[in-house]
Amino acid sequence: MTALLSIKDLVVRFRTPRGLLEAVRGVNLDIPAGASVGIVGESGSGKTVMSRAAMGLLSGSNVERSGSVMFDGHELSSLDSVQVREYFGTGMAMIFQDPMTALNPVRRIGTQISEGLRVRLGMSKKDAMKRSAELLAKVRIPDPEAVLRKFPYQLSGGMRQRVMIATAIACNPKLLFADEPTTALDVTVQAQILNLLADLRKDLGMSMVLVTHDLGVVANNTDFVAVMYAGEIVEMAPTTELFANMKMPYTEALLKSIPKIDAPTEKRLPVIEGRLPNPTDRPDGCGFASRCSYAQDKCRQDRPELEDAGNGHLYRCWYPLGSTIARKSS
Amino acid sequence: MDLFTKVCSTWLAIIAILAVVGPFLPLPDPREADFAAPGVKPFSPGHLLGTDSNGYDLLSNVVNGTRVSLMISLVSVLVGGLIGSSIGIISAYVRGRFDGIVSTLFNIILSIPNLVLGLSLVAVLATSPDPSIPVSSNRRIFVIMLSLTFVIIPILGRIARGATLAWVNREFVVAARSMGMRDKDIIFKHIVPNVLPAIYSVGFLAIGVVIVAEGSLSLLGVGVVDGVSWGAMIARVAGEFTYLPHSMYVPVTVLALSVIACNQVGDHLRSRLDLREGKI
Repeated sequence: MTALLSIKDLVVRFRTPRGLLEAVRGVNLDIPAGASVGIVGESGSGKTVMSRAAMGLLSGSNVERSGSVMFDGHELSSLDSVQVREYFGTGMAMIFQDPMTALNPVRRIGTQISEGLRVRLGMSKKDAMKRSAELLAKVRIPDPEAVLRKFPYQLSGGMRQRVMIATAIACNPKLLFADEPTTALDVTVQAQILNLLADLRKDLGMSMVLVTHDLGVVANNTDFVAVMYAGEIVEMAPTTELFANMKMPYTEALLKSIPKIDAPTEKRLPVIEGRLPNPTDRPDGCGFASRCSYAQDKCRQDRPELEDAGNGHLYRCWYPLGSTIARKSS
Repeated sequence: MDLFTKVCSTWLAIIAILAVVGPFLPLPDPREADFAAPGVKPFSPGHLLGTDSNGYDLLSNVVNGTRVSLMISLVSVLVGGLIGSSIGIISAYVRGRFDGIVSTLFNIILSIPNLVLGLSLVAVLATSPDPSIPVSSNRRIFVIMLSLTFVIIPILGRIARGATLAWVNREFVVAARSMGMRDKDIIFKHIVPNVLPAIYSVGFLAIGVVIVAEGSLSLLGVGVVDGVSWGAMIARVAGEFTYLPHSMYVPVTVLALSVIACNQVGDHLRSRLDLREGKI
């Protein structure tokens, strides 16, 4: 299978007053054409930074990026911000996390959607507006003609997220980054948006990178899953394989911390104790060691490498779940 | 809009109309002294607001002076605002070393008191070495506008830079970039419309500041001395304040009312335009 997007050894560092912050530490990830890949991890694990760095959207003089990003056979990491624009909109597009801030408050919906069409596809104003109305209909917004003339504040969160999706798919991108597309929405709308994305993906034959912190969302909507922790991919597998045969204690802990509808109400919600390691001062060993209930001395000293468990299943742990290596409880 | 704001905008409208039609109104020539009635009190026949010690009609002067005073402040705020906010927006958009240099320059200019700057510019550019050949008042006006423009640039530049910084990291700017938009389009279509409200409201405040500055420069003797402007009136009558106070009150009252009106309208604009952001 050829990869549409191939990320190799991607490292992103931010220079901060408190030292060098390594937000993404050597990520390797292939997005096959037509596939949907989920990236899961808790807040601060580097999911968003990774996806933005892959697209080359991180700007600022305090950002250092290294590694290679191949898109559709073209190396992107050596291009400057003007050259990489050629791939935006038509090649890659992104849906942003917060529909409240990702639309310009002083411009009408129509001009915002049609902007990409006019800039990237050179459409006339009239054609672009007509196409924008079609896009709004495609993301199931009722009365698209009227919505085109509205301002963002006149729309609800779910509507705005649909507008964002319409903007992102406007130029038929080959790859869509969906950066927590449902986080800012309530649960009923979440399901609608995810179904919408799945349908659109089928219709348009897009690949999708779904960034989320919700394993439940990933289980239903992706072909592959990469679990990120402290800037690294700690486990990666086809979705069914991952849920059937989890190797990484962190993934298990994430899964366990999803509230269960049938859990006794007097029980506390399970949580992952502790916090992410300080990104300016990473520990020597496994980043999860201090929070892992299976951690051994070796975990605290040596950083584990990605191991291959077969079936395209990679994990980064000295003592993977289901292994026969004796553990002592800590 | 509350009553006070209405009164203030009406006042500004009247001033603006006077600036245009002033010279065509049936008033005595502002430069023609009425030797028969020097220093008469307000409400005298033929001189509604009285005259100064030379017999110049105060009403006519204050009405005709509107044009020059308003032109000086509008031109310096418009030109200074355009230059300042362009520099501010670009500097906040590109960041890095350019931004550092621009901010430092703004701070340096801001640290020069504007009256000192105006004084020195007029002294260098608009004074004549030979007192018998006075500098034309047009040249004076031009140099005053130049120095006041220079004062406005960093004021509005910093406002624009600050406002841009607040918007440039918003997701919609990143979203626009992710759609492949050019920097020029992002600045004009996404940043400028959001930054403009702040510039409008501060611009109004700046007009008030410039009107006062023009008056103060006149009082220091470097204003539009021979011309017809509020500042020129203040300069001429400064010496006779003790025995003909009304000749000073007339221009000062008009000037003060205009400044208050500008501030109020600017404030009102700001609160109205902030509200839109609150709704988001």
